[in-house]
Amino acid sequence: MSLIKKLFGALTEKPWEQNQAVIDSGHSGKTFEISNQMSAVIIIFGVSTTLFSLIFTGYLYSLPPEQDTTFILKTNLLWINTLVLILVTIFFNKISKDLKNGITSSIKKNLIYVGGLSYIFLFLQLALWYQLMQTGNFVSTNTYFSSYYFFTALHGIHLLGGLFFWGKVSSRIFKSEESEYKKEEKSINALSLYWLFLFIVWLVFFTIMFAYNDTVIEFCKSLIA
Amino acid sequence: MSDEYDNNKSYQAQSSEVMDGSTGSVSPDIDYVRPSEVGEQELYHPHSFIEKWVFCQDAKVIGVQYFLTAVFTGVVGLILSWLMRLQLGFPELAGFMTAEHYYQFVTMHGMIMVVYFLTALFLGGFGNYLIPLMVGARDMVFPYVNMLSFWMFFVAVAVLMASFFVPGGPTGAGWTLYPPQTILEGTPGAGMGILLMLISLSLFVIGFTMGGLNYMITILQARTRGMTLMRMPLTVWGIFTATVLAMLAFPALLVSAIMMTLDKVLQTSFFMPTILKAGEVLEYGGGSPILFQHLFWFFGHPEVYIVALPAFGIVSDLISVHARKNIFGYRMMVWAIVGIGALSFFVWAHHMYVSGMNPWFGFFFATTTLIIAVPTAMKVYNWILTLWRGNIRINVVMLWCLGFIVTFVNGGITGIFLGNVSVDVPLSDTYFVIAHFHMVMGIAPLMVIMGAVYHWFPLVAGKMLDEGLGKWHFWITFLGAYSIYFPMHYLGFIGVPRRYFEMYDSPYMTSAVGMNEFISIAAFIVGAAQFILIFNIIKTLKTGKKAEQNPWKANSLEWYTSTVPPEHGNFGDRLPVVHRWPYDFSVPGAKEDYIPQTTAPSEVIHTKVEKT
Repeated sequence: MSLIKKLFGALTEKPWEQNQAVIDSGHSGKTFEISNQMSAVIIIFGVSTTLFSLIFTGYLYSLPPEQDTTFILKTNLLWINTLVLILVTIFFNKISKDLKNGITSSIKKNLIYVGGLSYIFLFLQLALWYQLMQTGNFVSTNTYFSSYYFFTALHGIHLLGGLFFWGKVSSRIFKSEESEYKKEEKSINALSLYWLFLFIVWLVFFTIMFAYNDTVIEFCKSLIA
Repeated sequence: MSDEYDNNKSYQAQSSEVMDGSTGSVSPDIDYVRPSEVGEQELYHPHSFIEKWVFCQDAKVIGVQYFLTAVFTGVVGLILSWLMRLQLGFPELAGFMTAEHYYQFVTMHGMIMVVYFLTALFLGGFGNYLIPLMVGARDMVFPYVNMLSFWMFFVAVAVLMASFFVPGGPTGAGWTLYPPQTILEGTPGAGMGILLMLISLSLFVIGFTMGGLNYMITILQARTRGMTLMRMPLTVWGIFTATVLAMLAFPALLVSAIMMTLDKVLQTSFFMPTILKAGEVLEYGGGSPILFQHLFWFFGHPEVYIVALPAFGIVSDLISVHARKNIFGYRMMVWAIVGIGALSFFVWAHHMYVSGMNPWFGFFFATTTLIIAVPTAMKVYNWILTLWRGNIRINVVMLWCLGFIVTFVNGGITGIFLGNVSVDVPLSDTYFVIAHFHMVMGIAPLMVIMGAVYHWFPLVAGKMLDEGLGKWHFWITFLGAYSIYFPMHYLGFIGVPRRYFEMYDSPYMTSAVGMNEFISIAAFIVGAAQFILIFNIIKTLKTGKKAEQNPWKANSLEWYTSTVPPEHGNFGDRLPVVHRWPYDFSVPGAKEDYIPQTTAPSEVIHTKVEKT
């Protein structure tokens, strides 16, 4: 609330008035007290949230009536993948907290866990695709499977993008002394937030698949049909 | 939100130690500025011709690159429009053109002008050039990503242009690319043409996201000291809000482009219903073409404002500078920009009244469409009230601004017609709609672009464009544009349908022949008149009058760089410090009729700024 109040409060300023002019001259020129990297991650959240929301909408809009929508949920791999993603998020969060508290001993180890588990997640996603194809469910089978493949591909691409920056930050960490890790705090925090976001997106999709039922879909369709 | 003010100092100032404009007494704190708390931005300076002019990280060069590439696409779009008008006005002279060609020209003209010309020019061109200069930054916050953004756009344009040369030619599905016909055999360019269009659009969105990230963060986080949000010129507000819209709307275009690519390449059916073709059921089935329409217009309507909002911002600044008057209702102008931006996400389905939607849905969107006219009208009133009793300079820049106001009002009013379902349904597929959107989002923003080119050319090139040629350019364009689009409304009223290759021999169609010929001749002249500007630019660069540092006597920071044209880093050794908003024109008590943003209060102690 405070954020909204301040943001909209700024819009009510009268810059031409002399009182306000004196106050304004004490302004640092920065709107939010966060790093540029963190700003970038937050903006990417906004863009990606729209992207994924539209995919979810498309998924709900065009599900075939005869499709068993719990089909993918029945595969064990999906649950294992979700667990892996939870673990990655926890490890990244721990790195962030450790850096904040000045604990540097396990940073490298946890960074390796994060990268390793993320790659395992991607590998298992591919394995799940393979499993689905083995059962005759391809991307063109129907819109239920099309949406699943599409969503997981985009989610995976987002993760790969994150892994690119994880690689850059990790390489800097591995080349530096423990006392210099603090310099990477802004990047690590931004990446940690990014991983959390990807986990939340995954969870929303998972929930939508889980919570699906005819009543909900019919209601949504009636709104835009 | 940051603790963005130096609280102690501002408290002192608020208490009593403020300048008294009437008496001229001044406190010791009146010129106070917060000490710089952040280090200088590290810039990568070019070391070779390639790094300076090709893979350059300087936002100004990137802006010019965007501008030139967008203008190139605009010229292609213009030539396509000539070909279309040739067919519509003088079909006997267009024997080389088939119906397929015509549909391909319509499609490519629409997509090029809306996305690759106007959007790229306003945000990529003006955005890159002006944002760092106007907010007092050395460059964008992520210059390397900014450079990638341009090259992604360049590749997107190259891919789009390549579609002219593939078997089957470019897509001819109409610029809205509605499925299922877009990707089915029988539609021109349904093979490689549509594929290249979809790939190009995807690349464009990815490239724009990189640029948009830079524009937003530079504006929010990298302003110079003293530059509050409400001290920013309206140009920056317009570009900023349009960027936010684009960042939220372009994902819809990306999603729909990727989904359609999958429908085309992998035979998915996101947008493809069950289709019977020549007695045979195609492999598609279960998808929804209407879903595409929703996604497309969720992008498509905000797109109108992605083009319009920067134009609103720029024209506000141009009017204020050339009328020597502070902008009337600055806060209201900012609110209107933000309000229009927010509302633009709730009106998209007014493009789909004829798709058979639920009547309540149509009612909702008609209401929101009419509501958006309120902040838009506020802006028009404020432009007029800024001009009111101003010391107006009737130069080329001002002519373009006046032309914009009139054209925008015309196009806007027909938009109110079309926002109503019952009026829209019969007019929807006629030339009335063509006339409406060309006036409101074609000609009107183009007039702002022209005004902006004449205004900022001295900054970019250090020379003044020829006023005489500029006036010829304006009057031919202005009168010519009205000759094209006013009669087009009438064509729409008599029911002439859009997207028809030829007008058949029905009585009302033959009655439109003379008017079509007239419109075509006007279109040829207006198109040719644009080359006056190109000639003017070339002539000026070769033999033009050298511009002084701040030829228009403007207040905003871009005119106060260390050199003209500005160098990489913009402001020499020290970044400027801002003491006021950019609209202190004709201030009573001031020696000059303008007070730059960098002028400290103690330098103008006898001035009294009027309320607005």
